[in-house]
Amino acid sequence: MDTATLFDFRTGRQSRRIYSADEIYQLELERIYGRCWLFLAHDSQIPTAGDYIRTFMGEDEVLVVRQKDRSVRAFLNTCTHRGNRLCRADRGNARAFTCNYHGWSFTADGELAGVPLEKEAYFNEIDRSKHGLVPVAQVQIYNGLIFGNFDADAPSLSDYLGDAKWYLDVWLDAMPGGTSLAGETQKIDFPTNWKFPVENVCGDGYHLGWAHHAAMQAVQTMDLAGLRAGNSDASGLDMGMSVAGLNGHMVLAALDGQSGYAFYPDPKPFVNYLEANRATVSERLGPVRAQKLWGSQLNITIFPNLQLLPGLNWFRVYHPKGPAKVEQWTWAMVENDMPEDIKSMILENQCLTFGPAGLFDNDDGDNLTACTEQSRGWRTAQMDLYTHMALGHSAPREGFPGDIATGLVSEHNQRYFYRRWQELTSAASWKDVASYNLNSLTEKG
Amino acid sequence: MDTKDSHDLQRLFDLRALEDALYREARLLDGEQLTEWLEQTTEDVVYRMALTSRRFRKDRSAPLPVGHGYIFNDTRGRLALRIKRLQSGYVWAEDPPNFVRRLVGNVEIVPTEIPDEMTVYSVITIHRSRIDSQTRTFIAGREDLWRKVEGRWLLAKRDITLDHSTIPDTNMNVFF
Repeated sequence: MDTATLFDFRTGRQSRRIYSADEIYQLELERIYGRCWLFLAHDSQIPTAGDYIRTFMGEDEVLVVRQKDRSVRAFLNTCTHRGNRLCRADRGNARAFTCNYHGWSFTADGELAGVPLEKEAYFNEIDRSKHGLVPVAQVQIYNGLIFGNFDADAPSLSDYLGDAKWYLDVWLDAMPGGTSLAGETQKIDFPTNWKFPVENVCGDGYHLGWAHHAAMQAVQTMDLAGLRAGNSDASGLDMGMSVAGLNGHMVLAALDGQSGYAFYPDPKPFVNYLEANRATVSERLGPVRAQKLWGSQLNITIFPNLQLLPGLNWFRVYHPKGPAKVEQWTWAMVENDMPEDIKSMILENQCLTFGPAGLFDNDDGDNLTACTEQSRGWRTAQMDLYTHMALGHSAPREGFPGDIATGLVSEHNQRYFYRRWQELTSAASWKDVASYNLNSLTEKG
Repeated sequence: MDTKDSHDLQRLFDLRALEDALYREARLLDGEQLTEWLEQTTEDVVYRMALTSRRFRKDRSAPLPVGHGYIFNDTRGRLALRIKRLQSGYVWAEDPPNFVRRLVGNVEIVPTEIPDEMTVYSVITIHRSRIDSQTRTFIAGREDLWRKVEGRWLLAKRDITLDHSTIPDTNMNVFF
């Protein structure tokens, strides 16, 4: 399977087969989901020893478990005896996991601790050390985000994230207390190819005014301009920027405090919070990020399937379930230093705007479903699609890492998303995958 | 007719009126008469659907620090905001309109200590026929508080228990 002809970075052309062909999807499971660092859980979701979450890496089901020594381990959620699903709860706290089928029991560190009738039926001949849970090859944590990787030869999480960390830290490390996810998981059965929702959020500012017109109308009374008051000294409005060329990670950034906070019915407490803490952030991250980015809308995409949006304050993972289906998991996210009333307000407003019944979120589903369905037809699948808006209109921007296109409306980020998709799907191993962080700040000292 | 009889008769009238109110609101919602539906709620109405997770019965994990969160956690103002969006003419997913039909059942009406307030339990099924053969069904239990205001029963509180651990549709442009 050669993916060289399926996308052309220079023209932004992609074949519609990449949204429908099963063989391409299988290749993605192997070369993207089997190889990339995938988000497993947030530290805040499993604070105590024995806390666990059941989640997915591609279509593989995994259990993510907090250990007694505070480290985190992840295992395939399958009994090593006859392959039954081991844990059937979404989350919880447990000393051990016991299989429903024959009662094999595993401790939180994955060891096979109990086999019923071990003496009578196995004649004490079973080597329990050989039947422990299968661990995910690598688990690493970056500022509270726990990632797993099936590929033992993958680069470190830090190298994988590269300069995207500079932007990630605007959310994860701006305040000394770090961040948390809030509320239960918001799960949606979504009949779309996984790349469409990623593309929709990673760079597509184009659809906002049209697809979300109804929601925009409904919330138009909310005060967009007032929000900037406490958050930036900038006098004029910046157009925002589309940042890519960072190992396949992207940022769509409004600047100077323009953000989704404006959709909150009463953003005043946020303005106060931002005002009160900007000096702290400036000390921690420097004036550029404190002024231009913190408190502004950032759509951050970590390749392949993680998106976090400071400003709208949602955090989302797409679990692929075949070429034409994902399970979309969303949480609200908060800074731990925020006062409790602001945290509650965020959870509340995240659900109102981008929850399962969210005013905005409910506009995207049918479009992305239909894009997927429309890639299936025998004749339609022979068509190409283009992400060529603002092609050639990107440049370095002083003080910011990445290859940057001005404004929120372009297809600059999408092109880099598909470029990474192509680099990974066409490579036999990590050795053949380029690492690049364009216009790195560190290179210049 | 003595006082007890008249009291019992009044109670029968109330039961009948409340059941009618449930069916009426289902019909109003099916017909997208959303403003009329909203008029059948009190000024201080609370309309909620909690987020939840599948956990073991004996699970020992601590409660979530900021709470579980809600899919709907609406005041009358927020319901009005949703209605404003739905009636804007720009909700492309509802144009052409989907075929939507509600079935309300298992109605149980329980008096509270306040004479003009009743707890009403019910189950709602919402059928949506979307494009082509695509159909979606939501099933939920409801625990309501209805209040009689100037002789009319109005919805004062609704707690909706959605019976899907994963939402089976890509939008919830419907009221329960």
